[in-house]
This record gives sequence, C-alpha cells and structure tokens, in this order.
Amino acid sequence: MTVFWLTVYVLIWPVIVAGTLAVICRGFFRDWAEARREGRRII
Amino acid sequence: MVDDGVEFYQLGAWTVVALFVLFYGGTFLMSAFIGKKNENADGYMTAGNKIGFGVSAASMTATWIWASSMYASATSGYTYGISGPIHYGLWGALMILFIYPFGRRIRKVAPKAHTLAEVMRARHGKSSQLMLAGSNVVGSVISLTSNFIAGGALVALLSPFNFQQGIVAVAAGVLLYTLWSGFRASVLTDFAQVVAMLGAVVIIIPVVFFAAGGPGMFESGAANLSAEQSNFFSSEAFLNQGAPYIAAVLAYAIGNQTIAQRLFAVREDLIKKTFVTATIGYGATVIGIGMLGVMALYLGINPAEGDLNNLIPQMASTYLGPILLGVFFIMILGSLSSTADSDLSALSAIMMADVYGQNVARKGKASPKTMLLIGRISMVVATAAGLYFASGRMNILDLLVFVGALWGALVFPVLASFYWKKVTNKAFTVSVLAALAVFIPVRFGWISMDGATGYVFDAISVVGIGVVLGLMAFGFFGLRPALGVGLAGAVLSAPFVMGFLHDYEVLTGSLVAYAISTVLCYLMSFRNKEEFDFALIQQRIGDYDQRSMQPAEAAAAARS
Repeated sequence: MTVFWLTVYVLIWPVIVAGTLAVICRGFFRDWAEARREGRRII
Repeated sequence: MVDDGVEFYQLGAWTVVALFVLFYGGTFLMSAFIGKKNENADGYMTAGNKIGFGVSAASMTATWIWASSMYASATSGYTYGISGPIHYGLWGALMILFIYPFGRRIRKVAPKAHTLAEVMRARHGKSSQLMLAGSNVVGSVISLTSNFIAGGALVALLSPFNFQQGIVAVAAGVLLYTLWSGFRASVLTDFAQVVAMLGAVVIIIPVVFFAAGGPGMFESGAANLSAEQSNFFSSEAFLNQGAPYIAAVLAYAIGNQTIAQRLFAVREDLIKKTFVTATIGYGATVIGIGMLGVMALYLGINPAEGDLNNLIPQMASTYLGPILLGVFFIMILGSLSSTADSDLSALSAIMMADVYGQNVARKGKASPKTMLLIGRISMVVATAAGLYFASGRMNILDLLVFVGALWGALVFPVLASFYWKKVTNKAFTVSVLAALAVFIPVRFGWISMDGATGYVFDAISVVGIGVVLGLMAFGFFGLRPALGVGLAGAVLSAPFVMGFLHDYEVLTGSLVAYAISTVLCYLMSFRNKEEFDFALIQQRIGDYDQRSMQPAEAAAAARS
C-alpha cells in the first residue's frame, strides 16, 4: 500500500463513524418526537 | 508511572472525580427521567417489545462496543499489522449482521419472549433451556468482570487512584443507574454513551494520527513492519485472528443474551435497519480504534510493561492534551459501562424469566413484584461477583475466547429448533454435550494430533467449515442456497485444511464443535415422526405483568 492509501485507510474510519452517529442521532430525535406526539415516554 | 520507565501523563484526582460525577451522574439522571415507582416486570426485561430505531440502534452499537474490543483491536493491529484491526472488527461486526435474519424468525415464533432460553423451554423443555441459560450467564459474568477490569486499569494508568478504587467506582456507577429500571435504563443511557464513544473516536483518531507525524510515519516507520505485517492480505493475520472469529460469528450472537434482549425489544419491523446500522457503527469504531495499534507499530512504540492492553492508553497519554485525554477517558468509560449495564440487564432477565418465572414459580402464578425483586437482587449479586473476580486481575479475555468457541456447540441445535419441526429435546441435549466432550480435549491439546488422528480431525473441521458457511447463508437465502454454500465451502477448503489445520487448536476445536453438534442433532432428529407446532410457543410465552408500561396507555385503558 502506498502512503496515500495507508492515510486513507487510517482516516476513513472516523468518517464512517461520524456518518453512523448522524443516522443514530436522527433516529433518536425522531423517536423522541413521536413519543411526545403520542403522549408517552420514549421508552 | 509504570515499572519500565514509560511515564503516562495523568489526569488530576479532582479531574477524574469530576469526570466520574459527570458521566455517572448524567446517566443516573437519564435513568431517573424514565424511572417509575412501580416498574413493570416485562418492561424491566424487554421494554415493551416496541423500541424505535434510534434508541435500539444506539443500544445495539453501544452494547457490542466494549473496552476490551477496543484494546483487542489495537492489539491485533500491533501484532498482525495493517490487516489486524480488520480481522478483529469486521468479523465482530458481522456477528450483529448475521444474527438479524434469525432474529426476525425468533420474533415471529415468540413475539413476547424475554430470553432465548425461555423460547428453548417452550420449544423443547427444561434441559435445553438451562443449558442455554447457563452458557448465557457464564458469558455475561465474564464480560461484566472484563469491563470492571478495564475500568480499574484505566483509572490506575491515567489517574492517581489505584486499580481497586477504579473497579469499585465503575461497578457502583453502573449499578446506580441500572438497578431501578433495568433494561429500560440500560437502553436509554446507551444513547448518551454511544454519542460519547463515537464522538470521541471521530476526534481522537485524526488528532493522534497527525500529532504522531501524519502520513510521514508510514515512510519513516516502514522498517518496523515484517513482510506479513505490511501485507493487507496477510495469511498469518487471517489464520490466527480472522478465521477463529469467523467461526465464532454465530456462536457469540447465540451465546449472548444481550443481543437476544435487543432482538425482543426493538419494534419488529425495525430489526433489519437497527442491526445493519449497529454493524456499521461497531465495525467502523472498533477498526478505527485498532488503527492506534497500527500507528504504534509504525512508530516503533513498545507497550508499557510489555502489556498490549496498555497500548491505547499509552497512545492517548502520549499524543493527546489534557482536554482530549479527558474525552478519551469518557470514551473508555462509556464503552465499558454500556456493556456492563447490558450484562446486568441480561443476567437479571435470565434470573427473572428462566429461573423464577419458569422453574420456581408455579405455572402462571409468577408474581411481577417478586420477579422485579429477584431482578434487582440478581444485579447486586452479579456486580459483587464481577468485583470479586476482577480484583484477582485474572486474564479473563482468554476465558471469553474459550467460552465463545464453546458456544459453537449450541449454534445448530438452537437455530434448527426455530425452523425444523423434527428437532427433539433429546437430540438438542445429546448433540450439545457430545460436541463439548470432544471440543474441550481438542481445544486444550489433550489429544495427540500425530498421524491419522490429525487427518480425522481435519476432516471433521472441513464439515465444520461447511456448517458455519451454510448457517451464515441460511439466514439470508434459505435452505437450498445454504446447502450449496456449505457444500462448496467444505469442498473448496478441504485441500487447504487436510494435514494442516490441526496445528491451530483454537480454530480446530471450534469447527469440531460445530460439526459434531450439527451431524448428531440431524441424525437424531430426521427420523422423528412427531412434528412440533410452532404456534405452541406463542401460547406458552407471554407477558408476566399485566400492568401497563406507559402512563398514556393506562389512561386510555381507564377511559375505555
């Protein structure tokens, strides 16, 4: 592997983690809003 | 300060106390927010079976990421080079992915179940239930202990406090917020913990990378890697780290009540979405943290005290400033707490449903209040047991690897029981016990593999490879493609396995366990003329507590 691809290989994971975290947060706040609309707790 | 002169930058005593208060105080407030004076017993175990996507995806991700997985991924990167973290994190992530098709089937036949062992009781009887519940308990106690040890080690390395003070603080913190509301508290606090963990990973990896020299380290440190370590397709990494993990993909998922609990808790139509998201979240986080081990290898860093578990704290202490070191501290605290609270919830559910609900209380007479009391007592006892084992600082991870391989004996009998009407209790019990009886001497090298014996076990391992690949394909594609994949896998692997694989005891033991339990379970079941009616499971498993879980539902019921 070249230096460029090794750098990409190391730094790609935080980018994927950030994307996943965004998806989870969006889901959580949607759950929260839905629970409030229905007058119940989120869990 | 550690023995061989490697000095760790330490956080101050008051800083560490403040971080503990911030973390455990925050999680306690979250759990208090959803706490109720009279908790519902079923809610305490599965939170009402209809959790939304955001909460369940956060919970599955946080539960599966534990401190040991971060340390082990970095160790794998340091030991096996650039492919090391992949061979740890990818297969660990696939454990979540490959269980979800089976999870959908399990939910279909037992929508109101609390534990997997409870379903085995409804399907087969007491012996199958207790074998599975027993293995779940062993796994969760080991996991709990391991997380306490990780907490104690973190405190000892990065603060003026000692190991014993660390494990007590972590155990008390986790018990504090989990005890009253059980699984509900565990799942809700998982969201905050996943934000802390994943957020920290996003910041820490690039910061360490550039602080340690950035891309230049790959040029200046290339000489520190062997040819195998710098090979992305290293066979050494695959055989020692990857292959045993592939064999354990389904075993860990079946043997772990924390996954089963989330399969029963999430809204049924969200199982796939939840588990795919958690697969990506876990994989990227753990592989990403493993890159710290790869960087350490390029930089020529020697782990403090020769202990590879010190590698991550050492990298953090060396390359992060005080504020980011605090973020790192919270990341590790979040990873171990989110798994420890899940282990406590899993253990309490097993004691509530499998021990009290189905074996102590008279049929249909289980008291929800007694059940809750048993759940809470179980958590306190499990915490005490975890502290006792942790204080000995035994190498608990080796034990977990052993138990994980041992779970391979359970995989086919458990999964077949959800699909095949002919599997009997006798076939389940005998096949699992026979597989264990062969697995243990093979795993510990008590059988000489010289001459023909080695070839016999290689041949059994070939069958095991077919079983593992076939089962993985079966969940997604059904029986015919699975048989094709299993057969092709066995045939294609045979030339590489025969005369060779028996030198790898861990992998051979695991594959032999799969093969023997599968072949025996099949042979003892296929002539069975009685066919089980899966509708009976729904009749046999339901809610223990008829009180409402939600105030809004209670109000609606009162109005009607």
